[in-house]
Amino acid sequence: MRCKASAHAHCLELFEKLSDYIDGELDPAGRLAIEAHVSGCIACLACLQTLRQTVALCRTGTDHPVPQEFSRKLSALLTVPLRPTAG
Amino acid sequence: MAESQPPNRPAIHDNDTELIQAINSGRSDLFGELVRRYEQKLYTFGRRMCGHPADAEDLVQETFVNVLRYLKDFRYETKFKNWLYRVAASTCLKQRRRSKYAPERELTLEELAPEERVEPVARVPEWAQMPLEKLLNEELSRTLQEAVHALPEPYRLVVVLRDMEGFSTEETARILNLTEANVKVRLHRARLFLRDKLKGYFNHEM
Repeated sequence: MRCKASAHAHCLELFEKLSDYIDGELDPAGRLAIEAHVSGCIACLACLQTLRQTVALCRTGTDHPVPQEFSRKLSALLTVPLRPTAG
Repeated sequence: MAESQPPNRPAIHDNDTELIQAINSGRSDLFGELVRRYEQKLYTFGRRMCGHPADAEDLVQETFVNVLRYLKDFRYETKFKNWLYRVAASTCLKQRRRSKYAPERELTLEELAPEERVEPVARVPEWAQMPLEKLLNEELSRTLQEAVHALPEPYRLVVVLRDMEGFSTEETARILNLTEANVKVRLHRARLFLRDKLKGYFNHEM
């Protein structure tokens, strides 16, 4: 049985890998280690779930509509060199 | 803004290739089509990166001016979209130093990085288990956006590119000229910072 301090160190070690786990970028052994650990550690499960929900919320962002006036200004600016020069 | 990719990388052909080849062959009148394809994406990227709409407009404008200037150097060794974001990220870092809307002082790394701890809890918080459609509202979106803007720029760039714009770790590393390991470390820290802000919001709300 692990002592409390080493158990906490194990939590911290896995804590550093939670983003990789969420992104599917851990190797199978690393994935299994996290899944085995969170099935018995409520603190790490809470870390994982709150982090996963944070990432999911970031991914729900919608577009900010381009202001029409700015779009017109941009189009005019970037086509200036194409206009025939006077004379 | 020439690409610093390894030599002999095979050319990539995507939906933008023919348009860019045409522009680089003298059809500069087609540049407007390139602007139409990407102004919405770049403006949204700008709003995510900059706190003020005027800064987002400056970012889009300066990015397209730089694209106009450097497009002839594009070597088709990456997707055009990724090259465009590389130009935009570089423009963003330069522009930030000039913006009158940018905060006078950004968070330091020490202030950003939450203390590495696993807090003792009795259960998973309710907000982490709720369907997203039940959580989302304008106030939450604003809280999240403000938290993103509070991140130091190198961290903000990574989390915006990875979690908001949808680039992979490898693509983000190439866009920002970082190692993949560096992208992962910054991303994890940025996410922890955002999670702590969301925890604060939900502790207050629920």
